[in-house]
Amino acid sequence: MADVSLQTTPRARSGRRNLRLWLPLAWISTLVLAAVLAPLIAPHDPLYQDLFLERLPPFFMAGTEPGYWLGTDSLGRDVLSRVIYGTRIALCVSLIAATATCLVGSTLGLLAGFFGGWWDRVISRLIEIWMAFPPVLFAVLLVAVMGTGLTSVIVAIALIDWTRFARVIRAETMVQAQMDYVDSAQIGGARRLTTLVSEILPNVLPSIVALLMLEMGIAVIVEAILSFVNLSLSSDVATWGSMIAEGRNAIHFAWWVLLFPLIALFLTVLSFSQLGEGLKQRFDPVLQ
Amino acid sequence: MTMSSTLNIQNLTVSLRSGLPLLGQVNLTLEPGEVRALVGESGAGKSMIGKAVLGTLPPAARVSGGQIFLRGQALDRLNAAQRRHCVAQSAALIPQDPLTALNPVRRIAPQITDPLTRIHGWSTERAQARALDLLERVEIRDPARVMRSYPHELSGGMRQRILIAAAFAPSPPLIVADEPTTALDVTVQKQILKLIRELQKEVGTAVLFVTHDMGVVAKISQKVSVLFQGRVMEDATTEAIFTNPTHPYTRALIAATPSYADPSRSFSPVPAELIAQMKSEIAKEEVW
Amino acid sequence: MFLRTVLSRLLTTLVTLFGVAVVVFVLVRVAPGNPIAMMLPPGASEDDIAQLTALYGFDKSLVEQFFIWIGGVVQGDFGTSITLRQPVSDLVLARLPATLELSFFALLIAVAIGGVAAVIGARRRGSPTEAAVDLTSGAVLSIPDFLWGLLFVLLFGVLWPVLSISGRLDPRLEFDFLTNFVALEGLLRGRFDVAGSAFSHMLMPALSLALPLAALIAQLLKQNLKEVLIQDYTTLSRVRGFSETQVILRDAMRNAALPTLTLVGVQFTFLIGGTVIVERLFAYGGLGNMAIDAVINRDLPLIQGIVLLFAALFVAINMLVDLSYTLLNPRLRHG
Repeated sequence: MADVSLQTTPRARSGRRNLRLWLPLAWISTLVLAAVLAPLIAPHDPLYQDLFLERLPPFFMAGTEPGYWLGTDSLGRDVLSRVIYGTRIALCVSLIAATATCLVGSTLGLLAGFFGGWWDRVISRLIEIWMAFPPVLFAVLLVAVMGTGLTSVIVAIALIDWTRFARVIRAETMVQAQMDYVDSAQIGGARRLTTLVSEILPNVLPSIVALLMLEMGIAVIVEAILSFVNLSLSSDVATWGSMIAEGRNAIHFAWWVLLFPLIALFLTVLSFSQLGEGLKQRFDPVLQ
Repeated sequence: MTMSSTLNIQNLTVSLRSGLPLLGQVNLTLEPGEVRALVGESGAGKSMIGKAVLGTLPPAARVSGGQIFLRGQALDRLNAAQRRHCVAQSAALIPQDPLTALNPVRRIAPQITDPLTRIHGWSTERAQARALDLLERVEIRDPARVMRSYPHELSGGMRQRILIAAAFAPSPPLIVADEPTTALDVTVQKQILKLIRELQKEVGTAVLFVTHDMGVVAKISQKVSVLFQGRVMEDATTEAIFTNPTHPYTRALIAATPSYADPSRSFSPVPAELIAQMKSEIAKEEVW
Repeated sequence: MFLRTVLSRLLTTLVTLFGVAVVVFVLVRVAPGNPIAMMLPPGASEDDIAQLTALYGFDKSLVEQFFIWIGGVVQGDFGTSITLRQPVSDLVLARLPATLELSFFALLIAVAIGGVAAVIGARRRGSPTEAAVDLTSGAVLSIPDFLWGLLFVLLFGVLWPVLSISGRLDPRLEFDFLTNFVALEGLLRGRFDVAGSAFSHMLMPALSLALPLAALIAQLLKQNLKEVLIQDYTTLSRVRGFSETQVILRDAMRNAALPTLTLVGVQFTFLIGGTVIVERLFAYGGLGNMAIDAVINRDLPLIQGIVLLFAALFVAINMLVDLSYTLLNPRLRHG
């Protein structure tokens, strides 16, 4: 009698959980559309400088010019068009860098967690060393070493952030490897590697997916940070990060140059992380 | 209702927030210095009565009808703070599991004396002296050392004796003992029962003794309430219960008690037909 | 027993630091661009270049260079900055207080906000208040310090300019500092105008760094509190007449804080790592800001020194957290 179960029905929560999936998905779909259709929907060339139209304020302020909804920056470039074109780099970096990071980190995590022994000792030591680096400084250093460019940014992200995956996946794999079903697969004669892929991987997949989503948001931020210190891409590409850097410099004259890419970044990062959490809850057999 | 009763419960109904009843129309009284056993199988709702009195019902359950008078004070007329104060002044709890009922990161001394100084307004010296006195009374060797110890340094039996000392320390008019011997082994059980009985007589405390063990009932109580599915099936003196049980369920419970004195007497479970019949009677009652 | 734990921790720590030293050394050496060429005026002769190269030891093999550098580090000599022409150790130690003040101020804010939110959430568990704490902390947690910093620059620097968005101190203030702990020294020597200026300069960068950690503390501590609050000893305290808030603060907090502590330790190192970009954003004269300049200027000895210092700081914090966990937990302390 002592313990009456105290949980309310999970049904009440499912509505909120769905919203948690659909709102982020809606925003990310908007980004994808904007990236694909950029040339069609952007009102101006994102790189075209018109010094007669510099620092135009956005539509809700006085002194605007028709057609420049979100104003222009210090070089007279259209902010809206730059935000739209910026989605291309943002999505590109988040997709490729996060996938690369995920592959490196998850593989090392699975190996360390499943095989243990020397694998684990070496990989754990590597993780420990990596965790002792300040990540932003590490990223800046790596891009400085490799030279600026999209590839450098992506490689830098993968080289720095793999530990995020490796730590979590290693721990979860270790837990799974203790389970009876792994033993029975082994007794059944399965090869070690087959067991890892067919028995353990599916169980840690929800965490991998959640981390992947999180990493996508982080990758966008890292690109913005690198742009902010002038180390990401050359100035002939519109990125949110470079807009933010310019906006910070011109903050007392044209704060909207900072505001709009910042809003885009906020929503994107929030969407990816909420999507990750939502997916994890949806696919985690234990939580269901 | 007699104003002199330590505890008077009238038509108490407790149900889950979903509407499922846990206790139905429970009536019982406890006179000063009296020991009443609440006996029944697990799920009978016997612990719920104590929890309803002390205000520690789980969040999913609530009092949905009836009244509880603690020393003449109707508890449902008090706000939360008044109620807490009233209960703290008049009642104490000896919990079921001594291993989880002491805070692992605090020493024993403050766990006994804090309520005395902070709630009952005693001086530190008086509380300290009382604690030492009672620890000695519950046959703890070197009580000064035990007061400085952490719970994990003490055995389960010692911890339960400390909890008994703590419960009796403010000389409360009422103690709820919630299966205080269930988690202990048989030899320790006997000592604990003896201590509760002796202290109860010395302090003059009334005890609501929750148990599933008819053998314990015989040793400690003067009155018995037999519960089944949240209903009081029989309410009588202990003597009457054992010599002349009126309800068939009570007879079955007594028969189901293994006897240490007479091991040859075979253990017989409560017959399934009887349970089914009682359930259908309760169900009929609820329809009306 | 305890001593042995400490010693083995120290040993692994040294191995980690050595690893960091190797990685950063290799990284900066493979960087393109000749740092020597950047130091000299255009038209410098071959001889000048050779002389300077030899002075900084760049003519030796990589392995030799590494051991010369490590040998110096062990004796406290981190080399000489190429751009600033001063010993790296002096430069770094002059900037360290700024970063430490900022980090610990941020930690304080994070613990305060996160702790209060956790207590409120646990106190009102199951209510809309708890749901609000969950929702807010979830959202705040996913926004990194860099974005908070940008938001604050925009909000409180420009649109509603109540705080300074650059520097460490109002330059008009006159004060003879004995140390570089500007805020702390101002406080201790009773110059509250100096301390006030220092804290108001730190407020926005510190808050940017603190918010994600605060959200994490709120979530974790609340979860841990809720787990403790169903334990029998808290029920017993309620029966004894303690209010829910008293139960949380007196009974539950220490039990719940212990498992939170380990995580906060790791997260604190992340917070310090975040100072690099946040200092840049607020033009705050700390180590991180200097580090980015050093990378941009290819100042190899300075980069190496700063990275190593950060790494030492991180492993030291992790070690302290582990040890304090042992000390605060009576079961481990005597075990």
